[in-house]
Amino acid sequence: MNNHSQLSRRTALQRLGFGMGAVAASDLLASVQGRDATDSPLSVRQPHFPGKAKRVIHLFMNGGPSQIDTFDPKPELKKLDGQELPDSVKETLQRTQRNRVGEIWASPFEFSKHGESGLEISELYPNVAKHADKLCVIRSMQSDIANHSPGLLMMNCGNPVLARPSIGSWVLYGLGTESEDLPGYVVLMPSGMPTAQSRNWTSSFLPGVYQGTHIETNSRGGEMIPHLKRNDIHTGTQRNLLRLTGALNERHAAARPGDERLDSRIHSMELAFRMQSAATDAFDITKEPESVRESYGDSPVGKNLLMARRLAERGVRYVQCYHGAGQPWDSHSGLLPNHQRLARESDQPIAALLEDLETRGMLEDTLVIWGGEMGRTSTIQKVATKDVNRIGRDHHVDGFTVWMAGGGVKGGMAYGETDDFGLAVATNPVHVHDLHATMLHLLGFDHEKLTYRFSGRDFRLTDVHGSVVKDLLA
Amino acid sequence: MKTASILLVPILLSSVVSLPRSLEAQPDGEMSGTEFFERRVRPLLVKHCYECHSEAEGSQKGGLLLDRESGWLDGGDTGKAVVPGNLGDSLLITAVGYADPDFEMPPKYQLEAHEVKIFEKWVRDGAAGPAEDMGETEFSQLGDQEVIFGKAKDHWSFQPMKKVTPPKTADPAWDENPIDQFVFAKLKEKGMTPSPTADHRTLIRRLSYKLNGLPPTKEEIATKDLNAYIDTLLESPRFGEHVGRYWLDVARYADTAITYRADTKTPHYYPYAFTYRDYVIDAFNHDKPFDLFVKEQLAADLLGSKEGDPTLAALGFIAVSPYRNMSHDFVDDVIDVTTRGILGMTVSCSRCHDHKFEPIPTADYYSLYGVFNSVNRPEPWKLDEFPIIKGYGRSPEEVADYQKLKTEIDQKIKKAGDSVKKGNNRSIREEIEQTDLAELLLFHEGGPIRAMSVSEKAKPTEPAIFIRGEVSSKGDRVPRRFLKIIDPEQKPFNPKNSGRLDLAGKMVDPENPLTARVYVNRIWAMLMGDPIVDTPSDFGLQGEAPSHPELLDFLALKFIEDGWSTKKLVRFIVTSKTFQQAGLNREEMVAIDPENEFLWRANRTRLRIEEIRDSLLAVGGQLDTRMRGRPGQIWGEEYTKRRSVYGYVNRFNIDPTLRNFDFPSPVQTQGSRTENIVSPQALFLMNSPFMVEQAASLISAVSLGEIDDRGERIEIIFARALQRSPTPGEIEKVERFMEIEESRDVDPWPLLAQSLLMSNEFLYVD
Repeated sequence: MNNHSQLSRRTALQRLGFGMGAVAASDLLASVQGRDATDSPLSVRQPHFPGKAKRVIHLFMNGGPSQIDTFDPKPELKKLDGQELPDSVKETLQRTQRNRVGEIWASPFEFSKHGESGLEISELYPNVAKHADKLCVIRSMQSDIANHSPGLLMMNCGNPVLARPSIGSWVLYGLGTESEDLPGYVVLMPSGMPTAQSRNWTSSFLPGVYQGTHIETNSRGGEMIPHLKRNDIHTGTQRNLLRLTGALNERHAAARPGDERLDSRIHSMELAFRMQSAATDAFDITKEPESVRESYGDSPVGKNLLMARRLAERGVRYVQCYHGAGQPWDSHSGLLPNHQRLARESDQPIAALLEDLETRGMLEDTLVIWGGEMGRTSTIQKVATKDVNRIGRDHHVDGFTVWMAGGGVKGGMAYGETDDFGLAVATNPVHVHDLHATMLHLLGFDHEKLTYRFSGRDFRLTDVHGSVVKDLLA
Repeated sequence: MKTASILLVPILLSSVVSLPRSLEAQPDGEMSGTEFFERRVRPLLVKHCYECHSEAEGSQKGGLLLDRESGWLDGGDTGKAVVPGNLGDSLLITAVGYADPDFEMPPKYQLEAHEVKIFEKWVRDGAAGPAEDMGETEFSQLGDQEVIFGKAKDHWSFQPMKKVTPPKTADPAWDENPIDQFVFAKLKEKGMTPSPTADHRTLIRRLSYKLNGLPPTKEEIATKDLNAYIDTLLESPRFGEHVGRYWLDVARYADTAITYRADTKTPHYYPYAFTYRDYVIDAFNHDKPFDLFVKEQLAADLLGSKEGDPTLAALGFIAVSPYRNMSHDFVDDVIDVTTRGILGMTVSCSRCHDHKFEPIPTADYYSLYGVFNSVNRPEPWKLDEFPIIKGYGRSPEEVADYQKLKTEIDQKIKKAGDSVKKGNNRSIREEIEQTDLAELLLFHEGGPIRAMSVSEKAKPTEPAIFIRGEVSSKGDRVPRRFLKIIDPEQKPFNPKNSGRLDLAGKMVDPENPLTARVYVNRIWAMLMGDPIVDTPSDFGLQGEAPSHPELLDFLALKFIEDGWSTKKLVRFIVTSKTFQQAGLNREEMVAIDPENEFLWRANRTRLRIEEIRDSLLAVGGQLDTRMRGRPGQIWGEEYTKRRSVYGYVNRFNIDPTLRNFDFPSPVQTQGSRTENIVSPQALFLMNSPFMVEQAASLISAVSLGEIDDRGERIEIIFARALQRSPTPGEIEKVERFMEIEESRDVDPWPLLAQSLLMSNEFLYVD
């Protein structure tokens, strides 16, 4: 061991609040300090206990899909359609919406039962519905603040305001990545950024290497990973250049024995060279058979999800796919055509992804999550028009839906309920902190013990909250 | 904790389960109080409460334990859980009764009525305790301030600094500087020996980087007089830029808030934050005494500053908080940066409850809360509300151009009037102010120069404790005053103002055992590559002990005696033999002290990202040494060639390349950087246009056209990049590389330069 870094071994040990055996901790130690040529801060580590999920694909429906129009059927609302909400219920809605609460609007979409489980899903998702028996639908999600930016930060980082590391960063910190040739945590966007932008994949006070890598998959000609390619010289020249650099580095290291960081840098340069072609290959969906490409569809979302699978297959730990820039699912007006279009864009690709993962035997250890940063009201957001194509719904965080599939969750089930108005949670509330605790559990972590020592205390994704929802575990 | 829970669960359960069957049937009325507790109450506690309120589960939510009598009698953050015989005052009864919607337990479901009755009977009958009470344990004493203060009495960092006479060494060369005497004695004690002095080139390069953050020139390498060279480096304006950047990490400096305008996707800019950055650089260049530096950053406005006084910019320390609004989070951040940054104490952990590990009661947190909540910072976009400061030169052309653009924006603002945007009702005027105008002010060199300062509120806040950090539940009032652990008397601060000046005074009081030690340790870490105390922002009970306590005290006391002079401290350290040792490993020493805790050699350090970027510009002859003023982009289409410390730091979308090179996230004070090695760093060095351009610049700078001889060309490129001649072995490798490229008709020279610029030799300092 050779300590040239600012933090000593003992400090590093303390920072890593894994509460694990000495072996695992010392592994991590070497890696966080980046001292060992074979052990980078991103190298594979064992979690607290064997997790059923090895990786996550998070399908982020940013903007907030309406639960009662997708996965939370509320037939009772048909009878109440057009009526005002009782004042007592109105009072419970977050202040941002109180003045804008219009009449109850039952879902314009039909629900029907699917699969052996008979899980009810709306007509917006006919292809996903074919996989009903894989879905673990949580109809009782709760978050804190009914707006996009805090909602996204809550869902991603466990805090709506303060700068905290994102879940992908925590997972990468905890597990490392199985892919040496690719970033371990990738955020795919057709183009642009979601609301709250890069804060959604920040590593905050975790080391910078755990940040998500934001990739715009529709950017033509541009490189998807920063500095991945150099166009002014041929590969042969580049190899020659690296050979020379390697030789100079070898000589330099030989005169400074025992400093593993120097070897580590030599190694990382070789890795980077390989990454250039490996990463290019990973993002090249033309390498897929036509039948596969067709099943995902030739659309931005379809391409993204196919890339997500290619990345997951190559060992990328956490892939997040946003539906689009900004907050596309946000449907204050025109919800009907908007949700129809957004569901149409995502239904077939998501179904293809589930199918594809299953066929490849990857679904059992890949946790797929679908959901937004919040849901929507069952009432119309007050507007002058009554035109069904122009009305919409407001934000809602006190009861909404996300679903998971694969990765150790039960399929064909719905957990929790909202009340008869499709608003407040009536049974089995699942707060975002609980969702996070459950996700970490599926990945093999006790969420209370995956900690990082910073500013005098041990921080964790769930802060002082969260409990694992055991009923969701297969 | 894990072990504890494994051991304790069976014991607890057995006390419930193993009771004789016959007793189970016993009617409640015939049981003793203790029997009733064990038989009826305990099972309910185990089932419904212990997940969050027992040592066995390692959980003490709300500060409450229900596994022992003292737990419920003392209660948690909100008060006593059980008052024997008094149902109305027992919070446990209120909670399980679901009588108060804000206070329902268990939180997720309500107990059955018959279960509630059992609790009620137990409390009514006097709440008898367990058969075998656990009493106080280490766990229950977590956060027990009396116990912690007891421990703190003996903690090293709270003791006065001790003047220890440096021990004489057997080696006269190691007897000249007290640093060496302390280090040598420690090495001897451990059976170790120091390393010989590093070679001259290594020393010059080390000094150049440690003091100025830049590579030496070839001429500097030839400097013979090391002490004269040290003076030159200390007097160079590059010194303040380099050391200032370290302080900016501590001060979590950035040019924006952590939030943005969702509609325009622009960060909330801090157009005048840069004046704080310049203040810091100036302070180090002018060797401003550190005590004054602290006072100005906390209270420049209360030091009787005159209009236009540039020291007002010092208040940026408070004002460049990540939080745009004056909010509890803003105040919390300022408490954190002040206490961790300057005192090495983690006070902000006490926001919701007494500190679990440190002698910091919640009351102390709210004393400081009162201080910083008495501060007014204009809304960052109310650009005219920050005071104009002097000391910046702007060319007439720059000012004229600025005026022209400003007039255009003013017209847009005027035209917007009070109108609002369709759809979201946001003020158009405000949008223009926060985007076009703020960007102009942030980036245009001709703009007015204002301090991003704070001022006093009309009336200072009289703080009260927020129980569990909740604003709505106010507890006892506390005066604005200093931390009890350092200032046991805790005399209240000046009642007429925020007390910032009083606070600063307490912090830099020569009797304060923390401030000088913390600062000296930071400077030591910067120069030596490893601190004496491994937790530079945490000197509390949780922090690390110093590897050389006497040396730390010696340095701190000398620092105060020397008038809190940073330059004297730096000179004292870098003229030591300890600093000037060679950095090579020696097997026998590695066997004893593999981490070099006891300084038997120098530490090799990787350049920080700012040093990498500045060095690339420097060796390419591109570095623009203009100081002060508006930030520029550090790379991209159009980038500044000024030093990286003048780069724009967007807190909201922090530059991913910076982060890949371990630039700390400026959302909280940062006492040290991690040092990771990952492939994105290599990709940047191999492929980024910035890197390719700097390699090309180097080649242009050495004017190869005038030199025909190939060997001479190689020589001159090595000299430029690495300030040395190539070895015959290296020449051979380079020749082979060139032949291959020339056979392909590729110009090999910029590539050779790049190869040297991304070599380990370039990126590490021996």
